[in-house]
Amino acid sequence: MPELRGSFGDQPHHILTRWFGTPDLHKLDVYAGKPGGYGALRKALLDMAPAEITNEVKTSGLRGRGGAGFATGTKWSFINRDAPGPKYVVVNADESEPGTSKDRYILENSPHMLVEGILIAAYAVGANQAWVYIRGEYDEPRRMLSEAIEEARAKGYVGPKPFGKEYPVDIRLYRGHGAYICGEETALLESLEGKRAQPRSRPPFPAVKGAWGRPTLLNNVETLATVPWIINNGGAAYAKLGTDKSPGTRLMSVSGNVRKPGVYEVELGQTFRHVIMELAGGVTEGRNLKVFWPGGSSAPVLPASMLDTKTDMEALAAARSMGGSGGVIVMDDQHCVVRAAYRLLQFYAHESCGKCTPCRVGGDWAVRTYERMLANEGSQIDLDTLQRVSDGLQYGRCLCGLGDSAGWVIDSTLRHFREEYEDHALRHECNVGAVTASA
Amino acid sequence: MLDEIKELPARYPQPRSAVMPALDLAQEELGHLTPEAMSEVAAALELDPGYVEGVATFYSLFHLEPTGKHRFYVCTNLSCALRGANEIVDHLKAAIGVMGPVQVSSDGLFSYEEVECLGACEFAPMMRLDHRYHHDLTEAKIDQVIAERKGRKEEIHLPARRRGASPPRSPGRSVAKPPGGETHVAIEPPLPGPPRKAGRGKRKDA
Repeated sequence: MPELRGSFGDQPHHILTRWFGTPDLHKLDVYAGKPGGYGALRKALLDMAPAEITNEVKTSGLRGRGGAGFATGTKWSFINRDAPGPKYVVVNADESEPGTSKDRYILENSPHMLVEGILIAAYAVGANQAWVYIRGEYDEPRRMLSEAIEEARAKGYVGPKPFGKEYPVDIRLYRGHGAYICGEETALLESLEGKRAQPRSRPPFPAVKGAWGRPTLLNNVETLATVPWIINNGGAAYAKLGTDKSPGTRLMSVSGNVRKPGVYEVELGQTFRHVIMELAGGVTEGRNLKVFWPGGSSAPVLPASMLDTKTDMEALAAARSMGGSGGVIVMDDQHCVVRAAYRLLQFYAHESCGKCTPCRVGGDWAVRTYERMLANEGSQIDLDTLQRVSDGLQYGRCLCGLGDSAGWVIDSTLRHFREEYEDHALRHECNVGAVTASA
Repeated sequence: MLDEIKELPARYPQPRSAVMPALDLAQEELGHLTPEAMSEVAAALELDPGYVEGVATFYSLFHLEPTGKHRFYVCTNLSCALRGANEIVDHLKAAIGVMGPVQVSSDGLFSYEEVECLGACEFAPMMRLDHRYHHDLTEAKIDQVIAERKGRKEEIHLPARRRGASPPRSPGRSVAKPPGGETHVAIEPPLPGPPRKAGRGKRKDA
């Protein structure tokens, strides 16, 4: 049993995590013994037409939990189920957005929930083969998922006739090898095809031409793990939770300077005050909240004054940020924003795949500018350079979102903490006490 | 190993997808990917050696330089850095006696690397070592895992699963083995490391 830090147990809004913490929930018998366990797959295969399943997901309003928040049912409907030839479901289990550990939480605690979701999705879109692209460092989650698939195979759920229905589905794992960019869907497909993971230009979209040139549905782990609940309880029931445009719940992994870091299931529309101050127990004793990243390191930062921002995607967009991957990184007032931004820019520069010039060049440029400022050799020129690099990275100038994300780190920290940047660049001082972020 | 690699392409809709699983097998066997190994993998898969090297250099889990038998992958991204990861790295470097990530400890046992987020942020600071995650790192925990691995030196060639199944280590060893270590994960997968002769079971997920 993995150690649980986060949500579990029977609470009204616990859709994903209700049974987490049950001994051996990762075993098929235990999972299938819970209300609805593999019942959704049975219902989907025996009582529903594929189009009905997709419609149910549309009705739920579920939006992708990987980062972009695209409407899941709509994405499913892009696949032409009747097109001849192979079609694929590809599951993005390459969780690597800094501050995000929610997919691991699902994989380690309830892998069958994902397996069931994959099988339902495969049937809905007309795929007979699913691939789970799982990050290479997730040795233990990979082992658990692999065992879950084999258990489902032994039961016949994965195989030629699940629940007696002539609809063969197979699930295979593909291990990633350490590249953040593989979380981007087209880079993931390139990697799955045995190439350097560089994003493709779109169109064609994966729904038309995805893995190995075939129509492909790509969904995140949490997205698919939510599907069995929707099939069991109906899309309308799911849509009642959360807000109108961001229905349901999502897992938020809260990390950094909080007393109770963990993965919490949150009904969308709750405030970050609830998430950080109540669920995660508030900021480290004796310190104050300074800033938080509301949706992984790529989501533009929000200062402590915006703690009452709500967690739904519309509220976050209005606050000039985003829900992203649900990773909430909390930083207290003992840490320096400029150094934190520097550490993140090191990350984006390192993970740039090198395909698009703004991202390949801009990341390194920003890193060197931060280094100059942190070595007390900065000036107004460096502040201007950072703003210019940030602008150059954004606004769709790159094929994928990595460039934008790097730009947002610079842009949002500069916007909310200009004074701290000026301390470094113009006055050659840091007014924050202990600074432990990498230098 | 090459025979095993030659069987890989048939498992995928297109043979090229076998390149990473093949490199994986080579790296497990050799500890790191030498130019010769990459050329052999290329020949076995009927790919251009330059192509294979291009893939190997793209992904950070492929090592082109020798590594220690036990490689520490310490996360120093923001969530871990905010909870002391950089101090952990400093301590680790001193404890294994290396200056940087390209260096291997003088006994060949250890090397380290600072890595990006490993997706276990609620357990920060954390690291991956010998295919397992280690949580809530402290300097004492680092010392403990090092001591345990030094003590294990002679057992390292045993198949990993058998080793996991027989917890009592040979008595009378001089290195202290603190109690209660290594409790996060029940099964201990194979350890990575430099040249090993014994063949190993196929990976389940390959």
